Amino acid sequence: MTALTSRQDPPTAPPRTGRRHRPFLTALPYLIPAVALYGYFIVYPMLDSIRLSFYRWSGFRTETPEFVGLDNYQRLFTADPVFWKAFGNSVIWVVLSLLIPMVLGLLLALGLNRRLVGRNLMRSVLYIPAVFASITVAAMWRWIYNPTLGLVNQGLEAVGLGSWAQSWLGDPSIALYSVFAASVWQAVGFPMVLFLAGLQSVPPELVDAAKIDGAGTWQVFRNVTLPALRPTTVVVVILTIINSLKVFDLIVGMTGGGPAQSTQVLALWSYTQSFTNHSFGAGGAVATVLLVLSLCLVVPYLAWSMKGDDK
Amino acid sequence: MRKTTRFAATAGVLALGLTACSSGGDDAAEGGDQTVTVWTLTQEEAQKTAWDALVAGFEEANPGITIKTEERATDAHKDALRQAAGTDSLPDLYRYWGGPGLGGELVTAGVSADLTSFYDEYGWADELTPAALANATQYDGYHGVPFIQATEAVFYNKALFEQAGITELPTSYDDLVAAAQQLKDAGITPMTFGGTVNWHVMRLLDSLIETECGADTADELTTGDGDWGAEACATDAFTELESWGADYLNPGFMGISNDDAAQLFYSGQAAMTIEGDWYGPMAVDGGLPQEDLGIFTFPTGTGRTYGFGELLYLTPAAKSPDAAATFLDYMVSPEGQEKLGTAFASISVNSSVEPAADAPLGADWQAIIGAGEGLYVNNDQNFSTAETTEYWRIQNSVLTGELDPADAGAEFQKWRDANN
Repeated sequence: MTALTSRQDPPTAPPRTGRRHRPFLTALPYLIPAVALYGYFIVYPMLDSIRLSFYRWSGFRTETPEFVGLDNYQRLFTADPVFWKAFGNSVIWVVLSLLIPMVLGLLLALGLNRRLVGRNLMRSVLYIPAVFASITVAAMWRWIYNPTLGLVNQGLEAVGLGSWAQSWLGDPSIALYSVFAASVWQAVGFPMVLFLAGLQSVPPELVDAAKIDGAGTWQVFRNVTLPALRPTTVVVVILTIINSLKVFDLIVGMTGGGPAQSTQVLALWSYTQSFTNHSFGAGGAVATVLLVLSLCLVVPYLAWSMKGDDK
Repeated sequence: MRKTTRFAATAGVLALGLTACSSGGDDAAEGGDQTVTVWTLTQEEAQKTAWDALVAGFEEANPGITIKTEERATDAHKDALRQAAGTDSLPDLYRYWGGPGLGGELVTAGVSADLTSFYDEYGWADELTPAALANATQYDGYHGVPFIQATEAVFYNKALFEQAGITELPTSYDDLVAAAQQLKDAGITPMTFGGTVNWHVMRLLDSLIETECGADTADELTTGDGDWGAEACATDAFTELESWGADYLNPGFMGISNDDAAQLFYSGQAAMTIEGDWYGPMAVDGGLPQEDLGIFTFPTGTGRTYGFGELLYLTPAAKSPDAAATFLDYMVSPEGQEKLGTAFASISVNSSVEPAADAPLGADWQAIIGAGEGLYVNNDQNFSTAETTEYWRIQNSVLTGELDPADAGAEFQKWRDANN
């Protein structure tokens, strides 16, 4: 009886305020190390970089940074011959990354989600470039693009298209796109894997029901698969934008930002200003612009997609 | 019996302890061991062997002083110095380039100690070649002791010159252009460069500025207050650069590195390149027969040779400055230079040291240096690093046809006015 009573009547609930705070207080000791590390290694350098953008400093501890207000920004926007090129290239890189590797990744995922012979092998082969270090990919593609000995030009000549041979990395009008092609080769496996994972959550009964209702392949994709992939798409879009804006090592390894700064991007220009030109103020200003640009692209998209989820 | 044994053992331990204390006391009385820390750039195998021989020779001759070497890649080396500046973690000595843009930046930042008193004490100025010494005296006082004095010249393939019917080496700029045309007509790539590393093609532009402007105006433009927009010779130099890029350099040079460009020279696919005295052994190792390898100075018409220096700088925070100076003295001495051999450069910084008999092109280098009437320096050493970045952008914009040579000088001057 006693036991039954105790089972039926739960213990008196603790005061409301206590219940609300307890989970946080319980979690706090576990959170502190991660928060401290995050604060020290991520938040502090970020804020310090913004602070530095208002100073003129060579990076030597023997030299005291000189406060110059908005001078670095004014110089960046009006007197830096490379900044707008780097800004434009970063935007182009984001747009192309959203259009090409993401769409290719989705198509490959759809294809490799079917029952095919050697499906797992093909998935692995397509994903392998994504695990290579970018600097390795850069070295490989530099050779592929070599104007005299490279695979591309030699291949074109072998099939009688020698007139199409180019200085792929030496011509400012195509160098950025040549580097981007290498990036697509490396990056396409990542969205493919995410979309493949997402496709496993598409309810097969919905697909079957749609087919019974007479829906064609495109209609099934448009009205069933794509809505089910929405959470995956949000993740892929955000990661693609962030990865595109911070593209650095592939460009360093293939062109170093050249020729004539034609493949320069914001992340590399920030690094160049700080660590090559010894102008940490200008480098901090470029990094701050990059941060603002990232937030301008990611936050509205995130807000829009979360709003869609609420609906 | 047992007591006796214990006593003997205790006495023995005490005696050993006293001996050890006594030994330590003697070292201290002699000044104790001193360690000189040297930060240097990552060394290739032959260079590491030579450096280790130098250190071993010094330590043998100077018991009590130990040299501790720390190697870093170029960028990591620069970063480490910047981060350590003004702290106790600076080494005693560090290897770095000369010139206002590189070494000069560290001198201004207070990372180099004035060595005037050591130069007076050891008489290094009398031992060093004038070109090498000039790297240490370009600031107030003496900063750094020359470690390498690299000389650059045009390397050419004798067999390809012969194949093109070139019988005499160019002695004027017009001769050089004529030779390039002859090579091109014979189906040979006249000159090879790798454009992805901007400093490689820069050697051609530096030499064209020296050619078109003459020594005084070139110096005024590179190290003085010369106006790049107003000097017609700057436009002429950029115009010649564009012409070389369009007609005489390896196809697609802007898209390859200096290493890729070197392969074209090693394999006999290109007839010329501009390199330094370290390049001869590399070309031979790369497969170019030594008998086909030759050099001549770029015919600028000014008589000056082209090159740059690297020095060992003493830091103001050095913990053992006197020991470090002793090491520098050994490094500069004929004995030290013999240990270094030709691993870093074909020509010694010590004027009394003859080039090694087996050094490729050693006698040719000696002849070029002997005939030189001064030195013009690589512009990435003359300019600040930010200025160099812009200089390379202008250079490459001209070469890729994105900038008219007529506007190049003014464009560079505009940047200088806005940033200096």
